[in-house]
Amino acid sequence: MGGALSATTIGVFLDSCNSPSTKTKGNLFADDQLKLITEVADIIIPTTSSPGAKAAGVGPFIALMVKDCYPEDAQNAFVKGLEDLEKQSKDQFQKSFLEISPEQRTQLISKLREETIAATKAEQETLDKQKEADANPQKSDPDKAKSQTENAGFASILPKDKPKTEPRFFSIIRDLTLLGYFTSEIGATKAMAYVDIPGRYDGCVDLKPGQKVWA
Amino acid sequence: MSNLNVKATANNTYDAIVVGSGISGGWAAKELTQKGLKVLLLERGRNIEHIKDYTTATKKPWEFEHRGRITEAQKETHPIQKRDYPYSEFNESYWVNDHDCPYTEVKRFDWYRGFHVGGKSLMWGRQSYRFSDLNFEDNLKDGHGVDWPIRYKDIAPWYDYVEKFAGISGQVEGWPALPDGQFLPPMEMNCVEKDVKKRIEDKWKKSRIMTIGRTANLTVPHEGRGSCQYRNLCSRGCPFGAYFSTQSSTLPAAVATGNLTLRPFSLVNTIIYDKETQKAKGVVVIDSETKETIEYFAKIVFVNGSTLGSTFLLLNSTSAEFPEGLGNGSGQLGHNLMDHHFRCGASGRAEGFDDKYTYGRRANGIYIPRYRNMGNDKRDYVRGFGYQGGASRGNWHADVAEMAFGAEFKDQMTTPGAWSMGLGGFGESLPYFENRVYIDKSKKDKWGQPVLAIDCEFKDNEQKMRVDMMNDAAEMLEASGIKDVKTYDNGSAPGMAIHEMGTARMGHDPKTSVLNKWNQMHEVKNVFVTDGSCMTSAACQNPSLTYMALTARACDFAVSELKKGNI
Repeated sequence: MGGALSATTIGVFLDSCNSPSTKTKGNLFADDQLKLITEVADIIIPTTSSPGAKAAGVGPFIALMVKDCYPEDAQNAFVKGLEDLEKQSKDQFQKSFLEISPEQRTQLISKLREETIAATKAEQETLDKQKEADANPQKSDPDKAKSQTENAGFASILPKDKPKTEPRFFSIIRDLTLLGYFTSEIGATKAMAYVDIPGRYDGCVDLKPGQKVWA
Repeated sequence: MSNLNVKATANNTYDAIVVGSGISGGWAAKELTQKGLKVLLLERGRNIEHIKDYTTATKKPWEFEHRGRITEAQKETHPIQKRDYPYSEFNESYWVNDHDCPYTEVKRFDWYRGFHVGGKSLMWGRQSYRFSDLNFEDNLKDGHGVDWPIRYKDIAPWYDYVEKFAGISGQVEGWPALPDGQFLPPMEMNCVEKDVKKRIEDKWKKSRIMTIGRTANLTVPHEGRGSCQYRNLCSRGCPFGAYFSTQSSTLPAAVATGNLTLRPFSLVNTIIYDKETQKAKGVVVIDSETKETIEYFAKIVFVNGSTLGSTFLLLNSTSAEFPEGLGNGSGQLGHNLMDHHFRCGASGRAEGFDDKYTYGRRANGIYIPRYRNMGNDKRDYVRGFGYQGGASRGNWHADVAEMAFGAEFKDQMTTPGAWSMGLGGFGESLPYFENRVYIDKSKKDKWGQPVLAIDCEFKDNEQKMRVDMMNDAAEMLEASGIKDVKTYDNGSAPGMAIHEMGTARMGHDPKTSVLNKWNQMHEVKNVFVTDGSCMTSAACQNPSLTYMALTARACDFAVSELKKGNI
């Protein structure tokens, strides 16, 4: 976490610290940031034969989710990610993300995606190395390994805590776009197929041409 | 509809008191009222009225503010409940605030609780399997725990009885280790499941079978309740009454007798022992809203407060005669805690069914009953496991790029993808004496009571079994032509299966058990305990159906003893 926080970011801190459980909507992000979230979501799930994320109201949903359902470090990473994206846009196109073309937006998001994949992969390799190092004593010394297994045996059935990983802006906004879109009325009923009360279960029907996946 | 009976007597005296209104307490209330007893049913939490109070039951996905996710604020108030998936926005109000009712984890134990009328009967998984003599004889044969004081023939007619009323759908299989029941028509397997079933049963020549899950969901209208609408939203409460719960089934039957008084917000703090009669004479209740203390009296007391809830109540009911807890002369009260271990198995991709799909959301899967350590099969562990699982077709496509986005990705995500098939094991754990609970006076709950300390772990036998649980799943899937089979073991903490059992076990001998073969306390003859705490072993089947049968059986015995003047 860096020391250079923008006014907006500090706003986030105050908001989340003062009222962690209140449901005031839309206060976490400035208006321009909410627009930015909405446009990024609409690049992730655009309008095709069905309306996209923007039409489905995914922008405000993401803002709400980041505020209510994410810890502070993820909120910070998210806000920083928005700021970085805007900076990238200005550096590269001399315009706000909100003013550039869909192609230019896609170009920036593609770059962000590649960076995120690379960073996630590097982090995973470090974690794997750590895991291997932890497991190594057992390999090098069979006697020790045996006694360790015996002692650790019972505890080793317990679920392992997931290793703490860095929260990443693109992963979060992509996850939330997919969740928000496919559970929205537009996403569930227009992009997917939704039946509120199916009334029966048929385990083996012919797949009809153009059949969408069940929401 | 009011559950409060105006005919209730004013002087706090009833024929019977039932503590707890979940699966087994609901049955006790139904059976005792139908046999003519005036019954006081005590529930520590709020009332939830059938249908009317299932506030999320008909909500559409987009009507949930967080689309099912829980908030950081909810994680803070529910640090235990949040550990696994059942606690979600979809039925958030059915789970306890952990700060109100703390406990001490000597070792990790995930204790999932719901304080309200109906208890966990509202949120349960509904899988309903009979125990067989394989299960009732295991303790005697391998020496772990004590012998069950009953055999299959003792409980079989009571399984019939409760199944007929509750409504269990399933397929008759003629598999002795998983006896058939009084089934409503089975749900259908999908095409992949049918194919896997055939291939497994062919390959193992029916020494392993796969059947559709036996579930307390109605496949046809039954006992005035509607049939399943295949929404797969059961855990929110069913507006059609299509699965068994206290609210849909036992409570209306008990209310209809005119003999029931239901009192919500009634936390039973102690059972009052009368040394003159050597029986319980009543209970002390803390009103969980006002914290006022009230006494109620009855000829018999049924304890159905959930496995650990009931054992806490018994341990907390001390007297000069029972300084270590009511009816605890054996010293076994609180010991031999069990749960199923699970979250390991295998899954893969099914080919050859790309032109097939399903319709409707089936709240059920398939079941492979135990086949290990049966007949000539001998493993390096004792007992065994069963599998739950199923096949489904979602939007998973092998060729979707990592973190993909955009129009093409959206099209893929909305097109039916690959079929997948998975098997997850549910393993028996042994009744270890040292897996126990006891009262910890260093903490207090919201109502000023001391708390429970839980000291429980899975051991070597469970660990060894898990190797088979993974490898057998992979072997069966591969034998069924499933591709890219991957095994997994996500680890299992006691409590996670929400099948906690034992701590007030049944047995022949008052020196080594708490309850006799009628679920009657050896030492306090008018107290019956018929929830999961009574279990002498865990088997690997989902246990709730057995609690129902044991409860109905114990009620029949208790009323006949009462009429004979024996209690």
